[in-house]
Amino acid sequence: MNQNTDLLTLRSVSKSYGTVPVLHDIDLSIRDGEFLTVLGPSGSGKTTVLRLIGGLEPLTSGEIRLDGQDIGRMPINRRPFNTVFQDYALFPHLTVSGNVGYGLSVRHIQRKEIARRVAEALELVQLGRFADRFPAQLSGGQRQRVALARALICQPRLILLDEPLAALDLELRRQMQEFLKSIQREIKTTFLFVTHDQEEAIGMADRICVMEAGHIRQLGTPHDLYYKPNCEFVARFFGENNLVAGKLGPIQGELRSIETPLGHLICSISDQPHLKVAAEGAGAYAAFRPEALHLADAKDTDNRFSGTISDMAFAGSSTVVTIAAGADNAAQRLRLRVPSRVDGSALKSGEAVSLSFAPHEGHLVLA
Amino acid sequence: MSETGSTLPAERRLSLLVTVLAFALPVIFVLVPLAIFLGYSFFSVDQGTIVYGLSLGNYIRFFTDPIFLPVFWNTIVLCVSVAIICILLAYPAAYFLTTLKGRWRYALLMLLLVPLLMSYVIKIYAIRSILGLNGFLNKALVALGILQEPSTLFVFNMNAILLTLTLLLIPFAILPIFLSLERIPQVLLRASDDLGASGLQTFLRITLPLSLPGVASAASFVFVLAIGDFLTPQMVGGISGFTFGRILYSQFGTAYNWPFGAALSVALAVVVIAAILIGERFGRNRGISV
Repeated sequence: MNQNTDLLTLRSVSKSYGTVPVLHDIDLSIRDGEFLTVLGPSGSGKTTVLRLIGGLEPLTSGEIRLDGQDIGRMPINRRPFNTVFQDYALFPHLTVSGNVGYGLSVRHIQRKEIARRVAEALELVQLGRFADRFPAQLSGGQRQRVALARALICQPRLILLDEPLAALDLELRRQMQEFLKSIQREIKTTFLFVTHDQEEAIGMADRICVMEAGHIRQLGTPHDLYYKPNCEFVARFFGENNLVAGKLGPIQGELRSIETPLGHLICSISDQPHLKVAAEGAGAYAAFRPEALHLADAKDTDNRFSGTISDMAFAGSSTVVTIAAGADNAAQRLRLRVPSRVDGSALKSGEAVSLSFAPHEGHLVLA
Repeated sequence: MSETGSTLPAERRLSLLVTVLAFALPVIFVLVPLAIFLGYSFFSVDQGTIVYGLSLGNYIRFFTDPIFLPVFWNTIVLCVSVAIICILLAYPAAYFLTTLKGRWRYALLMLLLVPLLMSYVIKIYAIRSILGLNGFLNKALVALGILQEPSTLFVFNMNAILLTLTLLLIPFAILPIFLSLERIPQVLLRASDDLGASGLQTFLRITLPLSLPGVASAASFVFVLAIGDFLTPQMVGGISGFTFGRILYSQFGTAYNWPFGAALSVALAVVVIAAILIGERFGRNRGISV
């Protein structure tokens, strides 16, 4: 397993249902052994990508290459991939071991060998005791693990997971996230995980592919997506963010200025060549995270502006402060996160405050 | 407080009445007649009048007389054959229906079920004319060169009963099989494909087992309807096509021996109940809604 070689490559893949296009010329490379998450709102085409790779839907155009060979038209039962379906799709008339062993028994593998590998797979997903139960006798999380064992027992080159945690409650979902990640590390198989939940994506993925309206908007590590979003959609969709519209100013090394209603702001453009070549005066957004924004003190000279606190919302470990900022104190609504305190925050609604963020913590996205 | 106190008993009285009715109707119209039948089966007939003395004579006659048990057994074999042939013909038809899309599926299903709306007697006459010596079936077989001359193979005999019952009862087999096939979630079939199964493997390992409950109810429907039928054997069976239903019918009619007829119908009821129980046992599914 080498995370630098590509396992599977999608080349200008398009898909339409009748005359309705759902994917437009997708190019995507999946690296061997990685945990790749496809993230997008519903209707973005993320599940379609998974179904095309798995062979559950025919391609409209383009190719899917595995080991240099186009498998875009290979029938589903010959593809070396297995899917964990959204509602598990366990066979209700087969026991847990019957379900898990299904992929081996249709390949006419010897009974003894199947029994050994089923036991192994059930051990891996910690369901050894449930081998003789029927799916209807299991909880949601247990069914989920059966579905996973059933997919990975076939030793596929790639496991496709279609929002497998959507039906679970929050606590179970967190446990399953960790569980999936640890299994993926253990068996070192490539996972392609589809979800609409960005928190889930951040927690598990090596790389995330953000999709919107049938296009891939950005592909990168969770860190890259969070701190270097390349477009307004990713900046808004991926985590909480403050976006202030403005016009690009001159470049100063790894920083670039932007003229906004909040005044002259300076943001980082390191590793983002497209922001270096963008013309001065072009429309852009200054983007900074709520946790990067803070109350200004005497030494903050850059990116300093004033505003009025319009709302305070307690959110557990932190308190979200909404601020009206800009020339007439209403043009921009910004969010700021401060640690919660048992005796309440020193801040009050209606109070005028001075705010700032460090230039290297702000970033720019083109409008 | 006092208001609710006065309305509550009225509501209770109403719900009590509904409960009593719900239990009373089946008891009065189903269980009581059955019990009366069971009672009659222990009486006897002497020169045209019923003797109300309890005896096991009717049952002893049923088990010892060389006429009844063979007919009883042959009728069961006949009806099992009808059920099997119906299933074998109905399954492919129902499966084909589920492969159709949208409105075609239900349009064709309706067409297959239309015969249920027609008069039973008219259908039997129609089938009789098809099976007859100068009927469509014989003419077709002769025209195709399969037969040299019209055959009496399916005229007024057991074969005629078998064919007629099968034709009449096929809709009762198609419907439950179709419903059980339609209820199988498509994603299970995709999951089977995804795990590497061929089309045939998916059918044999997933579709077929999951549709067995429908097959079981179809078989018990057809069997129960066939074994209770005396009209069809009467009309297409001739002299050689003698079934248990016809014997029963004659006991209540020409022979005027109600107690013996009652004993024979108890024997029939035992078989019917057994068929329904077996159908129910295999018809139960293990939580398909997973």
